[in-house]
Amino acid sequence: MPASSIDIILACSIMIMLASSAMAITSMTLTPYLNELSHNNDVERYEHLAKYILLNPGTPSNWGSDPEIVPNSFGLAFANSPHPYQLDIDKVSRLNDENAYSLTYLQVLEAFGVRDVGLRMEIKPLFDLSVDLVSNSTEGNETTYTFDVVTRKSELPISAQLSCYVISRDYVDNVVSSTSSSGNGSVSVTVPNLANGTALLVSFARVETQIVTFNVYPFSHNSSTTPEPNGTFMRLSPLNYTLNVSFSYPDEQVLRAQVFTYNYTFEMTQTAGDNQTAEYSVPHLLDASPMIMAITGVNASSIFAEWVSYPQLPIEIGADLSDLGAAAKVVPLTYIVTINSALYEFTVKFVGSR
Amino acid sequence: MFNKKGQVRMLEAFLAVLVIFSASIISIKFYPPTNFDDEKMLSASGMQALIELDSNGTLGRFIDERNWPAIRENLKILLPVGVSYNVTIYDDAMHQINDSTIGNGLKGQKIVSVEYPCVSQSSECHFYVVRLQLALVG
Repeated sequence: MPASSIDIILACSIMIMLASSAMAITSMTLTPYLNELSHNNDVERYEHLAKYILLNPGTPSNWGSDPEIVPNSFGLAFANSPHPYQLDIDKVSRLNDENAYSLTYLQVLEAFGVRDVGLRMEIKPLFDLSVDLVSNSTEGNETTYTFDVVTRKSELPISAQLSCYVISRDYVDNVVSSTSSSGNGSVSVTVPNLANGTALLVSFARVETQIVTFNVYPFSHNSSTTPEPNGTFMRLSPLNYTLNVSFSYPDEQVLRAQVFTYNYTFEMTQTAGDNQTAEYSVPHLLDASPMIMAITGVNASSIFAEWVSYPQLPIEIGADLSDLGAAAKVVPLTYIVTINSALYEFTVKFVGSR
Repeated sequence: MFNKKGQVRMLEAFLAVLVIFSASIISIKFYPPTNFDDEKMLSASGMQALIELDSNGTLGRFIDERNWPAIRENLKILLPVGVSYNVTIYDDAMHQINDSTIGNGLKGQKIVSVEYPCVSQSSECHFYVVRLQLALVG
């Protein structure tokens, strides 16, 4: 074989090897970029979907207030709202699985109508309020309880005004306080010893008129029994400014049904009921605050207290994102929304293929 | 054994591959920055926070009262965690009117800026421009 042929074969081999290596390296380098290019509009698409949920009332537009209606198209906006990102209090409450008229995730997904994405929605107040009982002292016929209060957003301290109510049996009282710039404060309430049983400290913290959060702390007053978990004695489902009560035991007796906001409290009147259920009319309060509805009652020898917020928060509905594989891409989007004049944080997480 | 023709062909092949590979690498460098979405989200969050703060006239009232700490406290709650920000407020002649810093120390590689026109709802109508600069910390 002539020397020139060997040269050509060698040159060709080296060229093929180099070209193949270059193509392989280029392909490996470019693949993530090309993938990103094909999903380049995902975030923008998810943004549009999130805005559709928040700016559209759904079909029919009154699906929130009527428990019989399952929406044909999904949207949480308050119908004919003059203000964007204003959500319907009943549509939001029907996303809470503790509400007797809640939608399932499957119903939400079907009404949403977008087949190739999963979603998870969360609604909660803009900052956190935590309450802890630190001491109590009995003097005469009354007991005074002192609570430590902390207001924070993540780890950032928040200075806030506090409005707290105590309810035990048919006794209701209100105290005001505040937290300092370090986010710490203290609240003391005094309860007559005759109003013994499970009591609730209903607390609201407010930074500005629209930025309000809440906490409900159950404690045992002049009684040896520890408070049962909320929902043990009755299921409370607020909808369409009616509190629907479903009793867990047949012989329960209601002592007091009260609604609280930051500035106001009213006793609710019963509008219907039998020995299994009851309905209470909820006043249309204009206060920029979530409403807390509390019911005290008797079951055999137990004095109980149950409560629910309206809108029924916090809400977490949707796909379980804890066990997603590497092929899934989660895009979280957070918005500030208004429900009954108070501001909340709405987070929607879209799940699609990477 | 090897003649000069073969060596030149090898050199040609090597150069050709080098040219193709360089072209690919250069095209990657011109790809748009991947944090584009972060910037868009940041400016959307900032604008929404200002709109919500002003929805019942609160922002205008704070500016009328020159209550800069209140603006700082409210934005601390309304903006997402992990965002640093700085607010500058101008009057209708575009003169800065806040005499102290409103923010938490603006720091971050990419800073986005949103401007929000605000009209106070007091008996005297005042016009302001609120410039909010935001950056992702870390």
